[in-house]
Amino acid sequence: MTWSTAAPALTAAFLASLVEVVEAFTIVLAVATLRGWRPAALGTTAGLAVLAGIVLLLGPLLDRIPITSLQLAIGILLLLFGMGWLRKASLRAAGIIPLHDEDAIFATEAAALSDEARRRQQSLGWAAGITALKAVLLEGLEVVFIVIAVGAGRGLLVPASVGALAACALVLAIGAVVHRPLSRVPENLLKFGVGVMLSAFGVFWTGEGLGIAWPGQDAALLLFAALFLGAGLIGSFLARKLRVEFA
Amino acid sequence: MTMLNELAAELIGMFVGEKRLTVAVLTIVAVAGSLVNFTDLNSLVGGALLLFGCLVLLIENLCRSARAGVS
Repeated sequence: MTWSTAAPALTAAFLASLVEVVEAFTIVLAVATLRGWRPAALGTTAGLAVLAGIVLLLGPLLDRIPITSLQLAIGILLLLFGMGWLRKASLRAAGIIPLHDEDAIFATEAAALSDEARRRQQSLGWAAGITALKAVLLEGLEVVFIVIAVGAGRGLLVPASVGALAACALVLAIGAVVHRPLSRVPENLLKFGVGVMLSAFGVFWTGEGLGIAWPGQDAALLLFAALFLGAGLIGSFLARKLRVEFA
Repeated sequence: MTMLNELAAELIGMFVGEKRLTVAVLTIVAVAGSLVNFTDLNSLVGGALLLFGCLVLLIENLCRSARAGVS
């Protein structure tokens, strides 16, 4: 494994995980602010344990799947996932749908938990823990998929995992210092970039799974990423123009 | 059960964000696969269809979403 092969997987996993971990952190922080760190930590630990179980269960199964079938299946899923992110980020950039707002999500989660407190005083600690667990589990599932998707096709699970863990560590470190939702993270820009990278990986692996020999091999990924970047920017520009015309 | 339902919805939502785009991408993959495996054409023809088909689909979907003003 060379650095040039590992770097795209590591970077894609790091950036994608950064987006997901920021979202999970906002909800865990809301739980911790309202109900203390105990239910937040317990819920988070339980969520991470379930995720670890999923990885341990699925990991060995991946080795049993023929590489071309694995590349095709993961390529198609990456294509759907990546293009979905790129579409959403482009629409947000064009002002068609509102930007993701961590402060608003924090306020919504806090209000929901306060409401729960009024209704069921006794079981609030439990409800808070479950909220943290759900946030970690739901966002973590996407992280697990991204790590497996960008890593499994080429034996790059280790660099992809390192990228995801680095994102977790970075968010936790910043979160521990600032103690508030990380609303200044340029989430849409990150999502746009990750959408571009995952779509490029998706086309590359779907093609390899179908038996297409891409010219330039791994270097073709750079061309694909540049083309998806261009398509996202053009699409976003046209969408903004159309929004104004149809408004 | 509620959490399992939410997990299932999350998993499906990861790949089927917009049904029309999902169906169109899967169709392109199927056509490209057929070209590569069941015709005598150079496999790069299928590759080009896969790549440029996805790019065109993305731009078309963004324009249609903008016209409809929906997410």
